[in-house]
Amino acid sequence: MASAVAPPPVLKQEEAAVEPSANDAISPADALYDKCAERPQGHTFFQRDLSNMQVAETMAELTMILQELCDRHLLKLMTFEGDPCWKLRSRADAEKLRRLTPDERLLYHHIDQVQAEGIWSKALRARTNVTQQTLTKCLKSLESKDLVQSVMSVKFPNRKMYLLKHLKPSEDIAGGPWQSEGDFDVALINTISGIIAQHVENETCIRVPGNWNDYELAVMHKKEEVRDIEEAPAVKPYRPSRDPNTSRLLHKHNPQYPTAASVADWLNSKEILKGKFVREDDMEQLLEMMVLDDRLEKISGTNYRTVLRAADTKAYNGFVDAPCGNCPVFDLCGNEGEISARTCVYFGQWLETTSEEV
Amino acid sequence: MAYTQRETPVLAELCTFLVEDIYGELAARVYSILARYGRQTLAAVARASYLSGRQIKYGLVILLQQHLVFHSGNDAPTTYYEIDWQNSYAIVRFGKVTKLVEDRFGRKAANVMTNLLALGHTRIADLKEAYFPTATESDDDSDDGTANGTGSKRKRANGAQVNGAATRKNGVPAELSDAKPDSAVVANGDGMTNGDHKPSKANGVTHNAAPDHAVQEQGADEITSVDELYDLIELLIKRGWVRTVNETQYMSPGDMHDMFQQEAIEQDNNGATPTGTKDRDLVHRGIIDRKRAMRDEWLKVPRFARTGRPNSSNKRVKMNGANGWAASSAPSSDDDLVIRVNPEKIAVAMRTEQLVHLVEQRLGYLTARIYQTMLRMLESNIPRCWDEWPEPSLPGGEPGAENGIDPHFLVTARDVATKLSREMDIFEGLDPNAVVQITRKGHVHRTNILSQPIDPSRLSLDEKTMVVDKHIQLLSEDPLHFVTWHSRAGFSQWHIEFEEIAKQMIQTEVENTISSRKGSLGVKLIRTLRKKGKLDERAACNTMMMSANDIRGIVNDLTIQGFVQTQEIPKVDRREAKHSLHLVWYDRQRAREKLLHDTYKGMVRILQRIAYERGKVQPTLEKAERSDVVGKEEQYLSKGEVDTLKKWKEVQEKLLLQLFREDDLVATLRDFHGPLISV
Repeated sequence: MASAVAPPPVLKQEEAAVEPSANDAISPADALYDKCAERPQGHTFFQRDLSNMQVAETMAELTMILQELCDRHLLKLMTFEGDPCWKLRSRADAEKLRRLTPDERLLYHHIDQVQAEGIWSKALRARTNVTQQTLTKCLKSLESKDLVQSVMSVKFPNRKMYLLKHLKPSEDIAGGPWQSEGDFDVALINTISGIIAQHVENETCIRVPGNWNDYELAVMHKKEEVRDIEEAPAVKPYRPSRDPNTSRLLHKHNPQYPTAASVADWLNSKEILKGKFVREDDMEQLLEMMVLDDRLEKISGTNYRTVLRAADTKAYNGFVDAPCGNCPVFDLCGNEGEISARTCVYFGQWLETTSEEV
Repeated sequence: MAYTQRETPVLAELCTFLVEDIYGELAARVYSILARYGRQTLAAVARASYLSGRQIKYGLVILLQQHLVFHSGNDAPTTYYEIDWQNSYAIVRFGKVTKLVEDRFGRKAANVMTNLLALGHTRIADLKEAYFPTATESDDDSDDGTANGTGSKRKRANGAQVNGAATRKNGVPAELSDAKPDSAVVANGDGMTNGDHKPSKANGVTHNAAPDHAVQEQGADEITSVDELYDLIELLIKRGWVRTVNETQYMSPGDMHDMFQQEAIEQDNNGATPTGTKDRDLVHRGIIDRKRAMRDEWLKVPRFARTGRPNSSNKRVKMNGANGWAASSAPSSDDDLVIRVNPEKIAVAMRTEQLVHLVEQRLGYLTARIYQTMLRMLESNIPRCWDEWPEPSLPGGEPGAENGIDPHFLVTARDVATKLSREMDIFEGLDPNAVVQITRKGHVHRTNILSQPIDPSRLSLDEKTMVVDKHIQLLSEDPLHFVTWHSRAGFSQWHIEFEEIAKQMIQTEVENTISSRKGSLGVKLIRTLRKKGKLDERAACNTMMMSANDIRGIVNDLTIQGFVQTQEIPKVDRREAKHSLHLVWYDRQRAREKLLHDTYKGMVRILQRIAYERGKVQPTLEKAERSDVVGKEEQYLSKGEVDTLKKWKEVQEKLLLQLFREDDLVATLRDFHGPLISV
């Protein structure tokens, strides 16, 4: 359905709205409302639908009833491709709306128009031409009545965006699946990136046990029959471990390298993120972040793979492995004086020798 | 502040320490004057020091012999002296050079190299004399025996020029010539100190300067004949490890530039000072061409007169050769060739080692061995890591020579497979599926175990080539792109883009440093800034997917450490901080220079600590070195003294090892790539 755009409000009529007398057991207006309420929530009614409900006898009466319902805020008038159409409001909401001041109602209407995109308070003021004080007061009161909510925009962190209470802020102002309340959801990001790292590892790496190619053992089995000691295998300069309990993670041969699109598909199909759909752009952002984090590496364009480290021990470099590289007073250290190589406590600890007392 | 009171720049301090350690106090004092004052005449050095003129001359001769000091040419009315920083720093690499040569050419060549390092530049005849002393004692002044033999002979070399024209083929200016004999003694004497300061535990090769000692010590690896020695020298020259010495090597870069500029103006521009852009470009090109021609001249392999047969050049008796030695054995004209170690080649070899180490960390042992084989095959064709004087691009744009890569810089998988030792388990580090695909025997179990194990040493050359190719593919797929595919020749032909890799190595070292200091968050920030350029806080948060609060601290820390720069751009006239853009960025060149500087300083501290630790055990050391104690330590030294010495050895070893590792870092940061263009 295309987005329905409401026509400008008819202020005079709203102001002149009179509480309808409910002396009848049930007025035709209420009957129509009840009939409409039977439809699924959020349904849009066109004139044809409403006349088909056979509450009103004539077209004129229907118009009257609709006018009454609109005045009571039970219906919301919109247009779709030039035709008028209506949406139902709950009685509670309508009640709240009825109690608004005209200014509040005006603001509410504008906020209602932008739907999930939200509207910046300044833009709201520009559109409605109310004073700053009125604006602040009305917005506060609307918020306290649970009709609108304010959200910090992700794009412009210092802008307060207003939108109706029951709407979910759009991605433009609330950010993608990785953000909540305008900030990155670190816990979520950590969990998901861990899952993705594992997935990418499964796709691009292979765990090979130490005894994957135990030809010496095989040779020995054969030799046992022949019993030839002379042909002992030559001493190798370097022998990888043959222990079946050890294993090494290696880059897979001809793997299907994951891309942002494929990982996003995989994640969506797993439905790990409840109620959130991860687009390719969101996934690319996350994967690029993981590259910066040194968990993935990018190869040839859009492909990612796991970063492998063959060496277990982490040596940094000659400078930072010495005491000077991490010394908090490195810049103060001189050839002589209180801080120098002779008096250095860090050298003392490192070398297990004593330094000169200052 | 007075110039003399200014804090000494770190590199000057470091080099002075190194010079003092190896060449003794006298040389170091002269050196430090030049380090503090810059380019000086002899008279100015004398004014700035408390040394006598004679002492200064001795000191300078040592420094000149070792190429630690430039001097302006003879043509100028006064001779200026100026420090050669590159060569001075290279002192710290002596041990490493020996190791590198040993790995490539064996222990005998390493021995020759060690002697060349200890002696500075040397005439081939002197080197020969050092290994095979002549029996005749009737030399003009050979009373000082073999220990000082090389030094005294060097002096004779000075007088024995082929044409007898210059009295200073050795590069010693005329005004210092009276200082020569003694200087030689000093140099040699210090060679001994060298031997005990840096017995080079890390490498297991002595730095001993006295060649006859070395020969005796390494009985098994002794060079047995003159021919063998000559072959080794020739090999080292051909591979570019040793180069011939001529006078231009003594010119400081400034002097050299002036000279070539003069020449270029005279020859290319008809003597007119260039004014227009075109003329300037022409002269600039001329200067660079000349510099390169000169440099290539140094590396030219001289034509050895000797054709392998001893005595074949017997007829070539020196015209004005000195009396004694000419007749002693079979001298050839090669004997007059003065040679020295080529420092540029050392950097190339160090790059090889570090690249191999890097690959070993990233991809495993065997892939690293294959890369090592590739690199060493290319090494002899690579004279230097980067060209200081590259061909300027033509005004038209791309230079024409870009379309092809010199086949010297290509290596094929087959070459590697042929060269690789049979002992290697070449399957290591490969996916079993890849192995099966090549051997076509058996299959891979679900547990990734081969159903039919294969002995890697029984592969045919074709299969071996394919396996090697798989390893090379791993190298090329790595984000660092250790190799780049070139063609299908020899199964697959590859070249190595050293420039890009060198940049990446610098980056890796910067990241390592930050990682050690600030953990992964700091590295993440640096990588983000490197990828995205200048960022404000919000953009940085978005890329790193973190909240601003988490990032602020690290940005601040790294700014203080000088790895990250900040910038404020006002948006309104009043320059309110609130309305300004605050950008953070990372400049690789700045980070590189900062880290290099800090590393120099760290090295100075290590040297200072060594001196301090030595000072603590000095009395015990002296006792242990007494001639009556040496060899009978158990008898004369108490248990406490023995323990002290042992501890001192450990401490010294640890500190020296760290010093050499810091030197590796210096090589990465400074020698593998030219200055980077900022941002």
